[in-house]
Parts: sequence; C-alpha cells; structure tokens
Amino acid sequence: MTTSELPIVVRRRDNVAVIDVVGAVDARAEHSLEAAWAEATRERPDAVVLNFEGAGFINSTGIALIVGLLAAGRARSIPIRAYGLTPHYREIFEITRLADFLAINPDEDSAVLGVERSSA
Amino acid sequence: MAELDDRTVKNVENVEKQQAAARDATHWAKAVSRLRVSEVPEGAINLNVTGKRLAGPVQGFGKMWQKTYQARLPRATMSAVDLVATWKQRFPDFWPEGNNFYGPLTGIAPGEVALLNMTLPGRMKLSTGVMVLYADEESFTLMTPQGHMFAGWITFSATEVEDETVAQAQVLMRASDPIFEMGLMLGGHKQEDQFWVQTLRNLAGQIEPAREVDVDVQVVCVDKRRQWSRWTNVWHSSAIRSAVYMLGAPVRGRRG
Repeated sequence: MTTSELPIVVRRRDNVAVIDVVGAVDARAEHSLEAAWAEATRERPDAVVLNFEGAGFINSTGIALIVGLLAAGRARSIPIRAYGLTPHYREIFEITRLADFLAINPDEDSAVLGVERSSA
Repeated sequence: MAELDDRTVKNVENVEKQQAAARDATHWAKAVSRLRVSEVPEGAINLNVTGKRLAGPVQGFGKMWQKTYQARLPRATMSAVDLVATWKQRFPDFWPEGNNFYGPLTGIAPGEVALLNMTLPGRMKLSTGVMVLYADEESFTLMTPQGHMFAGWITFSATEVEDETVAQAQVLMRASDPIFEMGLMLGGHKQEDQFWVQTLRNLAGQIEPAREVDVDVQVVCVDKRRQWSRWTNVWHSSAIRSAVYMLGAPVRGRRG
C-alpha cells in the first residue's frame, strides 16, 4: 500500500508491519507518516519496523513525528524497531536519545525478528 | 542494460543521500554526553546545566503533550526566512518579563548551550538551561537537560501560507518528574501557554507594531500514560536544587 504525498509504503512480513520511509522526513511528511501508521496497525502487528534506507533529510520536526509514532506504539503496546539509518542519523537518534527507546537494527531481517537491540 | 540502469540509479541515489547528509550535518548539534557551559554571561546563574545529560520527551515522567502556538502575520511584512533569522538573532528579547535567556554571544547555533533563569509562581526562581539541538534557515530546536521542568524540545519555525507568514512555537514534552507533573496540573500548563503566547505576541509586535496579533493555541495529549519508572528524575529537579541554592544565598553572602 502506498500512502499519499510522500511515497511511504507499508509491507507485511509475517505479522510485522514494515514502513518504508522515503524522502525527506520533515513537517511535510506528517500526513504520510500518520497514514502509514494507520495502515500498519489496522490489523494489530507484533511490531512495526521503520525502514529508513530510502529516507533523505530528517529535521527536528521529523524527529518529533517519530517520537509521536513511539508514543502511539507505546499506547498500544506495539514495539517499534528501525533499520537503514545512516551513521549520521544514527548519531542524531543518540543525541535526541530516541535510541534509548527504539531498537536500531543493522538490517531488515534482524529488525523483523527483533533479535538485535544495538546497531551494527 | 536494465541492470546497469538500476545500478546507475542506485549510485545517484547514494550520492544524493550523502550530499543531503553532509548538508544536514551542519544543522544538527554534535553528540554530547554531558552539557558544558563555555561562558557564563554577567548576571546569569549557572545551575543545573553543567554535567547534565539531555532529556527528550521519551525520558520524561508525565503525560506527553504537543503544544502548538501560531501567530499569523502578513507575508508582505516579513518572509519566513527573515522571521526565523530575526527570532534567532534576538531570541531573548521576545521572552516575557521576569524570565531571562542567556544565550551564547555567537547566537542560536547547533550545539550551543544557553542558561535560563526563570520566575515561577510564588516568585520562586528557577535556574536551568537548554541546548540548541537543530538550527537551519526555517526553524530551530531547543532541547532540555535533566532536571528541567519538562523533558522535551521546542521547535520555533516559520512558514509561508498563501499571503501570510506563520510564526510557530511547538513544544513536545513530558513533565520531568512527579513534582513538575503536579505543578503542570495545578496551573503550570496554563502558565506555560501564557508564556509562549506572550513570546509570540512580543515577536509579532516587533514585526507589526500597529496591532496586537492573535495567537492560536493547539494542545494534543500524545501519550496519556505516565512513565512511573522515571519518578527518580526528581533527583535532578532544577526546582529543588534552585530552592536549595537560594536558601544557601545568605550563608554564601556572609562567607563572601
């Protein structure tokens, strides 16, 4: 399924929803991310994985949107994991301390399985 | 041939991503394990900042709130980029009376730490700080340290919508500890709203002094649950530490 505005795609692997984040993650991505989250959680998944391999620029508003997803996941006890972050954005996730609450995995397989907590 | 085209597209994408990351890197603060204040401006109290870690909305105790304050100005008076430049340059000037923002002389720039000396209800003085997490031409974000009233960040931005320039302050936060959470419930939220409304009025007043600009307030509870495991944040409470510091002032004065 492709959401409107940014081409964010939601896929299913087993019972895990994978959101492929593409393009800039800033204020303009808000509706796309919300729609992707709604699609990903329409049928309750075991976890949601955010794939940042196709993501471009992420600004502080984009980080706030990701915090919003973390809160939404927490409210429904749905774990959120991520992969595909560049070293730069991995550092940003450390600075903002998102990494304390979001498992950052080295690849999709480990993110889907939820086997690895730390980044490679 | 198709495979070669795919590889070319992938290479172009990678180069674009690297260029975007390089450009973006200048906008974000570098990683810091503990905050450090390089210079304490005259009159400022440097308390509850040095040695503290940053604390985002996920590290706080209370309910998570997103509060958005917006002031609309005629686009003809100032563009979004000019408005953000003015806001960054004169940030302390727009704060409500009784509250002081001691920014670095170099201004709002990623990684810079500013001291805050604020007045709370009951004339209580509170000393804390913020770090500039992100800054570009359209926005800048401040992040709070451990012990601040709330754990979170505040993003200041401007956008052009049709014939208007919209100045916005957006707070994403949780109260840091149970005492601040109680304070927010007992009037703290209202006081905070008044603070940012007045800040935006002061900013708008600089740009368009002829009329008082209305400020729209939108408040959304992003997470209703409290993070009880974070009650220990009270150890870092800037309110308690500021109060102890103030109580010790006469003794320090005598030792002088």
